[in-house]
Amino acid sequence: MRRSLIITVVVFLLLVLGFVYFAVDPASSDVFPRCTFLTLTGYKCPGCGSQRAIHALLNGDVAGAFRYNAMLLVAIPWIALCLFAESRRTRDPRLYARLNAPLLIWLFLVMVLLWWLLRNIFNW
Amino acid sequence: MQYWINHNGVQTGPVELDAIKEMKLTSKAYVWHEGLSEWVNITQVPELQGVYVVETEQAEAVTGQPYQPVQQPASQPVQPVGQQPMQPEVAEPCPPTNLVWAIITTLLCCLPAGIVAIIYALKVQNKYREGDIEGAKRASEVGAWWCIASIILGILSWPLVSMIQMSAMSS
Repeated sequence: MRRSLIITVVVFLLLVLGFVYFAVDPASSDVFPRCTFLTLTGYKCPGCGSQRAIHALLNGDVAGAFRYNAMLLVAIPWIALCLFAESRRTRDPRLYARLNAPLLIWLFLVMVLLWWLLRNIFNW
Repeated sequence: MQYWINHNGVQTGPVELDAIKEMKLTSKAYVWHEGLSEWVNITQVPELQGVYVVETEQAEAVTGQPYQPVQQPASQPVQPVGQQPMQPEVAEPCPPTNLVWAIITTLLCCLPAGIVAIIYALKVQNKYREGDIEGAKRASEVGAWWCIASIILGILSWPLVSMIQMSAMSS
C-alpha cells in the first residue's frame, strides 16, 4: 500500500518534470538550476548539460542531446536496463548480478572520470 | 522464483518451476529456494504438488500392504555420501550495489557525490566476493546514503547557486 503510493507519487512527479523539460528550454530560462560544481569551480562536472540534453531528447533532437551531454545519452539505455533488473532483483537475481558485475562498475567509473577530464580539456 | 533440487543425492539448480515439472522427480526429492532456512521435502512445498511421483504409495499398491500416509521426511535431509553439507552456493544474495542510483545521481545531480557511490558499489561487490556479507551490507548502506546525499545537496544548492549567479550578474 505504502509502496504503491510512493511509486504513484514518483511517477506523477516524473511526468510533471518531463512535461516542464519538454516545454521549456533550460538554456533560455533562469529558473533552472545551474550546476553547483560549475558555478563554484568553473569546471564542468560529468552531469553538466543534462537538463538541456533532456530537453533536446524530449523534443526528438538526438544530435543536440549528444552535444549537450554525450555521456547521458550513452548511459540512458544502460540506466533503463539496470532499473528493469532492479525491479526484478528478487525474481531474477542473475540478471541483476550480471549488470552489477565488478567489471561493469569499473568500466562505468573509468568512463565517468575520463568523460569528466576530457570534457574540461576539449570543452565538450 | 528459482529452486535448487536434490534428488537421490544429485543436486541441480537454480531451475525454474517449469523445468522442475519435466524432471520426473519422486517424493524423495528435496527442495530449497530463497526464503527457506533449510532444505525441505518436495511434498512440503505447496507450489510443487503434483509434479512428483509418490514412491511409497506405488510400492504399497504392488505388495498389497494396507495404505499408510506418505512417510513424513525427517526434519534434516539425508546427507548424500561424500558430499559437503547441502547448502546452495548462493545461500545469501549479494546486497544491493545501488549502482543505477549512483549513475543517475552522477549524471543528474551536479555534485560529484555520485562518484563516491559508484566506488561504494564496487566495494559491495568486492566484500561480497571475499565472503564478507556484513561488510558488503555496510558498504551497500553507505553507498545508498551517498546517493541520497547527492540528491539532497543538489536540491539545496539550487537557491544558493541562483544567488551566486545573480550577484555575479549585478556586479
